[in-house]
Amino acid sequence: MTTSTQVPQQGVTGAMHRDQAMRLLPWMVGVLAVLGALALQSQLFLGQQRTVAAIFMFVALAQAWNLIGGFTGYACFGQVVFFGIGGYFTAIAISHWHLSFWVSLLLSGVVAALFATLIGLPLLRLKGHYFAIATLGVAEGMREVVTNLPDLTGGGAGITIPTVGPDATTAYLGNEGFYVLFLALAALSVLVGGLVARSKFGYALRAIHQDEDAAAAVGINTTRMKVLAFALSGFITGLVGATYAFQQVTIFPQRLFDVNITVLMVIMVVIGGSGTVLGPLLGAVTLQFLSEFLRQNFTDLHIFILGAIIIVAVILLPQGAVNYVREARRTGEFSLLANVRKYRL
Amino acid sequence: MGSRGLVLASVITASSLAMAGCGSKGEEQIEGAASSGRLAIGASLSLTGQLAREGLLTKEGYQLCQDKVNAKGGVDIGGKKARLDIQYQDDTSKPDVAAQLVDQFNDQGVKLILSSYGSANTEAQAAVVERNGQVMADSAGADNKIFSKGYERTFAVLSPATEYASSIVKAIAELATPKPRTIAFLSADDGFSKTVTQGGIKTAEGLGFTVLDSQFFPSGATDVSSALTRVKGKNPDVIIGSVHLVEGVAIIKQARELEVTPAAFGETVAPPTPDFAKSLGAQAENVLGSSQWTHVTAGQDKYFGTAKDYARDIQAKFGHAPEYHNAEATAACLSFALAAEKAGSSDADKVRDALSGLDTESFFGRIKFDATGQNIFKPMSVIQIQNGKAVTVWPKESAEAKMIWPGTKQ
Amino acid sequence: MSAFLQATVYGLLQGGLLALVAVGFSLVWGVMNVVNLAHGAFVILGAYIGWGMHQEFGLDPFLGMFVSAAVLFALGYVTQRLLINLVVNGPIFITLLLTFGLELVMVQGMNLAFSADFRSIETSYAGESLALGSVRVPVGRLLAFALAVAITFLLVALVTRTRTGMSIMATGMDRGAARLMGIRARHVYALTFGIATALAGMAGAMIGTVGTFSPAAAGSFTLMSFVVAVLGGLGNMYGALAGGLVIGLVQAWGGQYLPGTWVNALAFLVLIIVLVVRPTGLVGKAFYAARLEV
Repeated sequence: MTTSTQVPQQGVTGAMHRDQAMRLLPWMVGVLAVLGALALQSQLFLGQQRTVAAIFMFVALAQAWNLIGGFTGYACFGQVVFFGIGGYFTAIAISHWHLSFWVSLLLSGVVAALFATLIGLPLLRLKGHYFAIATLGVAEGMREVVTNLPDLTGGGAGITIPTVGPDATTAYLGNEGFYVLFLALAALSVLVGGLVARSKFGYALRAIHQDEDAAAAVGINTTRMKVLAFALSGFITGLVGATYAFQQVTIFPQRLFDVNITVLMVIMVVIGGSGTVLGPLLGAVTLQFLSEFLRQNFTDLHIFILGAIIIVAVILLPQGAVNYVREARRTGEFSLLANVRKYRL
Repeated sequence: MGSRGLVLASVITASSLAMAGCGSKGEEQIEGAASSGRLAIGASLSLTGQLAREGLLTKEGYQLCQDKVNAKGGVDIGGKKARLDIQYQDDTSKPDVAAQLVDQFNDQGVKLILSSYGSANTEAQAAVVERNGQVMADSAGADNKIFSKGYERTFAVLSPATEYASSIVKAIAELATPKPRTIAFLSADDGFSKTVTQGGIKTAEGLGFTVLDSQFFPSGATDVSSALTRVKGKNPDVIIGSVHLVEGVAIIKQARELEVTPAAFGETVAPPTPDFAKSLGAQAENVLGSSQWTHVTAGQDKYFGTAKDYARDIQAKFGHAPEYHNAEATAACLSFALAAEKAGSSDADKVRDALSGLDTESFFGRIKFDATGQNIFKPMSVIQIQNGKAVTVWPKESAEAKMIWPGTKQ
Repeated sequence: MSAFLQATVYGLLQGGLLALVAVGFSLVWGVMNVVNLAHGAFVILGAYIGWGMHQEFGLDPFLGMFVSAAVLFALGYVTQRLLINLVVNGPIFITLLLTFGLELVMVQGMNLAFSADFRSIETSYAGESLALGSVRVPVGRLLAFALAVAITFLLVALVTRTRTGMSIMATGMDRGAARLMGIRARHVYALTFGIATALAGMAGAMIGTVGTFSPAAAGSFTLMSFVVAVLGGLGNMYGALAGGLVIGLVQAWGGQYLPGTWVNALAFLVLIIVLVVRPTGLVGKAFYAARLEV
């Protein structure tokens, strides 16, 4: 009697425990990765820490872009505007208003999010290409505005955050400090990405991506969801921009609002696999590491080689690495040549 | 992706991160710079990007310096000869990368840094040099702003930005007859050009000129017609452009199109470059320009001889006549060589102290630094395009020809 | 008043040239959904070819631009046929990535081949200007403007009156149906891209006469093409012309009556306003708005 009732119970509970463990696994792996990165820091020289910090920065940027561009499908070509706003707000707050960096950091994120909401309301009505270009216009326009307010922002001559002397409100973090801070931002962005992906919010965003009208028809408030995603994306990007500004000490509008930063973000997400959590992470790490490596070892030809590698990678894996692996595991079809045939004209 | 795939990918990422750093601290050898008969110097250059052209000229200047110094066996440091070993990295014309490279050089124990091209990059590098206890010889960052921050470890061999337009104004005041009355400044809006304009305005007002409202346009603009149209009505006697090559060419070209004819044009940076005269042909005639160095600059030193010798060497090695970007780069490298010799050591602090007390003649002119690290002891030269060539017209001691005035036909 | 007229004339002339730069970009994006980030690089390449023809053979750049057009047509055709066609079916921003990589390769290639020196094509007449009352009209820019307008009209005629042009439009509207009608889509796509790059090359040669260029300038031409093309309406040739003229005028007037550094901000402000008020662009037809993607 005991044998016949025990076995099914064990089976059910065991399955439940396995399920729970499986669901917690990604989070545990994430914690492991962060600990690994912190351990790595002790092995690196200061200059190398700065290089790796740049990798973390792009992880955060790519993850943030993925929220609006990957999940929601609204490819924002002007993402760098949040980066620049975050950076300049922090620079102005510390230089002109004597706030501490940490306060400025948080406020920068909030300001960037507010700006995202402000432009999101009119612009998210546009679709596809037009949304992309409108946001690009906003980013470029913002750069010009910043250049033309020299009393506030220093204009084309740039603005310097005081890090020494009586005007410095916060001690400079140094390469070690920024390593940890950028790592924290990267971890935060991956965490947010993961949470969003598994939440109702994420489902709503994906629904909007696949068919916005149908999503609206089933009762999703598409405007609110889109603006929320945009604001969240802007918030994280603003935080990163603020940290970057503090790290650089002197910032210029051409750098903080550089369209190439947006292009890099997009490339990282798409090569990694847009709409996934792991994709932007992989794409950012790979691309940034690769460009650093090439630049150090092929001083004359590095950009040429990088361009060639991007072309080949895009041709072989148009859907991005993570999506390719997913599809391949599902269909059993691993051939790259078949992959190319699938996407070509 | 299934959880197994996720685990796999994450473990791979984490372990590759760990492995990438593993052992690197042990591998990097902190090479005492002169211990193995080598004086290691780090140079981050703009080999790609917006500043690629000037970055290459800077590299040529560093290369010639290395060749010449090593041809004499190297620098005499405390009785032992140390050969110059300049390591190049590309900062892609971006200030944040330039700063990052200084940190990377620091990791490898390279404490002597030759600057990148341009004030923005140099400013970013100067901050890092100061933090890391390195020392930097600045070849191309002229903006006075860099030296007003209390940095003590960066030394600029070139004349500061405020001199660029001021020297043209001074030359006009001295040599132009009849003396003009009004000057208008057309300026790009980047930090360096703005400083140049401020310096020029100050000098002009001090010498009794009437300075009209300055016009600004975006840096890199190929269309400056609005600025020109606005000054046209005021009929300035002299138009001075605080610009770089692209805007400089545009000013002359469009001034002709729009029939803006002051008595003369003066521009910074652009006129001494060969591309200027080539692009404009006959329109470039009699345009004034300022230069950090010309082939008739007075002075000589033991490695490069006179300015004429230097010009010959650049021509022989690289197949083109030297521009002042070559010369200022070589001068920066030269000052490291001389400072290390004077200090008898390659230690960063000792070299730094030697630099701050350096006072020497060279093919580049006088190299001496004031308390902020700028070389205010070397005057800039003013050139004029005559028959398609840039000839020095000021200061009088090194003038090759008389200044033609007025520069444009009225 | 004369300052205003001068600014207007300058703005129109500049606008016409901008339009020619952007029209190929607009065509490619509107018809094939390909965002060509390397467009500016093709423009600069055209400028180098025009410059090279002038250097080696003394060929006048306004004739040399036909050589640019021919060479770049071939290059564009091959690029589309062998490279971009491979990813056309993928998510839209893949073409963006591919062309980004292409741009890196092309710009660096030109950097290595021609050096980063600034070039310009000298002609004896381009710097002259005609006088219309108190207004000066530069000859070089006037020629460029006239050619740009003529070419735009030619292009429209090509697309609407010839069979080739019709097949381009058809493929743009519905690739599947076009194929069913016997149109060879791969060839048509390559043809379209080739036409676009040929136009870019011509524009480049003309730009070489009115200003200076170097490989680093490629990015700014791509950016301008974005703005002008979308402002006018993607895929619409008249739209590119309208967009170019509007941007040219706005910048010229802005430069006259605002501090000179606001000109670029103005251009983007105009773009945003037009997009919010009339998303399909100034002249764009509603149909093209149906192109949803990502």
